[in-house]
Amino acid sequence: MEQRLANSWRQTINEKNFIVTALLSELRVDGRRPFDYRKLSIKFGKDDGSSEVQLGHTHVMAIVSGQLLQPYKERPNEGTLAVFTEFSPMADPSFEPGRPTESAVELGRIVDRGLRESRAVDTESLCVLSGKLVWAIRIDIHILDNGGNLVDAANIAALAALLTFRRPECSLGGEDGQQVVVHPPEMRDPIPLIIHHLPIAVTFGFFSNENIMVIDPTHHEEAVMTGRMTATVNANGDVCSIHKPGGEGVNHRVLMHCMKLAHVKAGDITAKIKDAVEIYNTQRALRKIKRHSSSVALDVGGTPAKSGEKESQVDGSHLHQSKLKDEPSSMECDATSSGQEQNDKRDGVSQKFIGGPSSWDPYSECVNSDLLKASLASHGPATHRQQKGSRSETKAEVPPQEMKIDSSPTDAGLVAVQNNEGKTLKDAVKPKNKRKKKKVSSNTGN
Amino acid sequence: MEIERPDGRSPNQLRPLACSRSVLHRAHGSATWAQGDTKVVAAIYGPKSGTRKNENPEKASIEVVWKPKIGQIGKAEREYEMILKRTLESICIRSIYPNTTTSVIVQVIHDDGALLPCAINAACAAFVDAGIPLRHLAVAICCSVADDGYIFLDPNKQEEEKMKAFSYLVFPNLNVSVLPERSSQEGGEPTAHGIITSVTHGAMSVDDYLHCLERGRAVSARLSEFLRKNLEPKSSSESSRAG
Repeated sequence: MEQRLANSWRQTINEKNFIVTALLSELRVDGRRPFDYRKLSIKFGKDDGSSEVQLGHTHVMAIVSGQLLQPYKERPNEGTLAVFTEFSPMADPSFEPGRPTESAVELGRIVDRGLRESRAVDTESLCVLSGKLVWAIRIDIHILDNGGNLVDAANIAALAALLTFRRPECSLGGEDGQQVVVHPPEMRDPIPLIIHHLPIAVTFGFFSNENIMVIDPTHHEEAVMTGRMTATVNANGDVCSIHKPGGEGVNHRVLMHCMKLAHVKAGDITAKIKDAVEIYNTQRALRKIKRHSSSVALDVGGTPAKSGEKESQVDGSHLHQSKLKDEPSSMECDATSSGQEQNDKRDGVSQKFIGGPSSWDPYSECVNSDLLKASLASHGPATHRQQKGSRSETKAEVPPQEMKIDSSPTDAGLVAVQNNEGKTLKDAVKPKNKRKKKKVSSNTGN
Repeated sequence: MEIERPDGRSPNQLRPLACSRSVLHRAHGSATWAQGDTKVVAAIYGPKSGTRKNENPEKASIEVVWKPKIGQIGKAEREYEMILKRTLESICIRSIYPNTTTSVIVQVIHDDGALLPCAINAACAAFVDAGIPLRHLAVAICCSVADDGYIFLDPNKQEEEKMKAFSYLVFPNLNVSVLPERSSQEGGEPTAHGIITSVTHGAMSVDDYLHCLERGRAVSARLSEFLRKNLEPKSSSESSRAG
């Protein structure tokens, strides 16, 4: 019996034969045709420059960060780009923590070559002080789940993260113009990187029979295939890199066919990436508008409590929905602790507690959002603290689909925010159902 | 006196919790846990045969790998690994699988304060997802003490930096009956298993610490409820994973 069985996943001969035989009739094990990609989903994190890509079962996360460092001596006017790959042990039982394996290094090199040598990222714009300080961009790729074809997924994740990354604006100051002042994001908006084109990696798998070729192999197919090739192509038809490390010899006609396919797929994937980035950018712009409108409210002279509350209220629909969800939990929590606490110090705090245990359990079933709002509104006046009162008050306003913002910089901005507020509030109003559905789907997707 | 938190929460209010299980396909068990903006993914592989050299072969051992968001593993990450390992060892039934190693891999997706409690909660949910038998579940909470002695629960990163001290507390999941009809707060006295883990940063007085403990225990009831709610629907349709 083998030691460390859980570390090694061995494919049976039956599985191998099944995959190869099915491919002879142009069928793949997961039902795709040989030249189909799996379902691609691109999501972004809270920060600028972090993306999560799911390509079928493969799950990859990329984080882009920037630092001011000294440039290389040979290139004093250019910023630097570095790719770090982490094959996390959670992705595959055979990945060990510690030194990167050769496949990790290979993946990092493919992504790096696609970006650097094709000059996709404009490094000259990253120079701040020639010869002294430049922006060093660092891309960390974390592989979370190995479902096959890590290269393509990692490449897409890296591109998505680069497109949404924003670096702080910096200007030269001081008497001799040698001092660099980095402006924090609240003072001046961070600026995006200049990306000239998107090099998309497309991976092909070759099998022992010469004519069989598949795109986007799963990890079952990767264990069977005898040769692989990754072509990095952009939507304009430029070949950025071709990577075919040994393996089965392939006829040049097959290779030309691959390149044409790669060009088509690159166009598709570029469109998908750009759409996802568009959506993220509009959401980000919305968040910025809301932040600005709330800061204007502060100047106009609402009490700090109210405006602070307002900012949190408008600061993204998810926070709003979090308020709705957490309000009951906080009330109940306060009730229990007020029962247990005897301390004088907490009297100031206990004023805001709703006396007595609340009999309302928010988790018993999918909460009807109208019921939620109504009960929240009814709880509002009972409390002592004005902040809580104002919070519930604004919650009572939520039922009307449009939210009225009292002060705003421009009318146009207000209208845009209002319309989008209507949309985002609707999303915010059904948060619990969405979350429960997500959990259920993760159950059923098992 | 104004007890004002930057995001408008009350001192006893937790950030919104989100937990989902079976997020990864290769891992035997996986879960994500998010508290506000702090998000952590935990994955479990195991039990695998064999233990490492300085581990007791008569018991199951747990190996934790902590992956930070950016950069290499440093001293802080090693400390988190050690704390997580000891915490999980106390909730697992270690005598069931002697001479085996269970690997827990934690990946930080975003850090906005209270990272270690988030990771502990995620690891616990991942254990349940993997079907590994546990003595009881654990819920973790972060309590911070401000300069004037006020206690705030679940601080985010800004608050953590401003506070005089904060502590991570891990409590066992209360032994509340899991009957379908919900009696509101009738939990009764927790069958006091005590505190599993407590890590403090900064200087706080003994009284402050005891207040933190009381608040933490009160909130752990809320967290336990949330955790159980999340874990219940899955348990009936769970199938074993052979990997």
